[in-house]
Amino acid sequence: MDKKVKVIPCSGIGKVYGLIAREAALKTVFDLLPEKSETMCLAYIVTGDKEAKEKIEGFDCITVDGCPKMCASKNVSLAGGNVIEEVKVLDTVKEHKGKKFGSPTQLDADGELVMDEIAAKIAKKINELN
Amino acid sequence: MSELKVGIISCSGEECLGGTISRLATRIVLDELKMISTVTLCLPLYLAGGEEERNFAKVFPTIAVDGCDKLCVKRSTEKYSGKINGSIDVSKIIGKENALNTKTVRIKDLTEEHIPMVEEVASEIVKMIGSLPADSYSGKTFRGCSCGG
Repeated sequence: MDKKVKVIPCSGIGKVYGLIAREAALKTVFDLLPEKSETMCLAYIVTGDKEAKEKIEGFDCITVDGCPKMCASKNVSLAGGNVIEEVKVLDTVKEHKGKKFGSPTQLDADGELVMDEIAAKIAKKINELN
Repeated sequence: MSELKVGIISCSGEECLGGTISRLATRIVLDELKMISTVTLCLPLYLAGGEEERNFAKVFPTIAVDGCDKLCVKRSTEKYSGKINGSIDVSKIIGKENALNTKTVRIKDLTEEHIPMVEEVASEIVKMIGSLPADSYSGKTFRGCSCGG
């Protein structure tokens, strides 16, 4: 049985924070912990397709949300995923007041920095599980 | 005077290049198309029950941009807001093999070869907006997307 933790970002398209969430999740699953983590398309998870259900129901998931609406967390829970950690991009952003992070299509240097920090936090959490 | 607005919902699929291309192409249209006000409907918020997003898609013409042929955005939008006005399957534009590339997904991994793909998809979105009947994109009550992410 596949025991990789699923790291699922909101990928919100309206502001840079959605991109930070997306890139942090992808950095985790591609670079930091490819053996222990993977991602899934958020849009696919909620289709209710049999294959999607089989991949998400009951599996440990870490969600990464770009705004307080917590849409990734809500959607993963609705789809039956087991949300073991809700990562909030804004919690890390608050530690970098006054910085510019980029746009919904491109991260600036400070955006990359915040993204790296968030990816590291996600990886730390996953490592604590294993 | 009524507003001229079109909603665009992009999949942003996290598993493959098609999602990245759909996201970038959608942003180009949102940022650069000036004749008509385009509004992005934040898909995760829409799926999580965002009433403003769902109502927008009921009132204004809405186009779904999907990165692959699973067409998750199209299906979800029609489930909650009724029939949409247009649907773009990015895999039909850039090729299935490219769209389903699971190695190149992050923005930083994109290269020069991907720019024409983004531009072509953006062009298709604009064409689709242009093909909408003129009287279909007016509405007066929607206050805008509430997405913060």
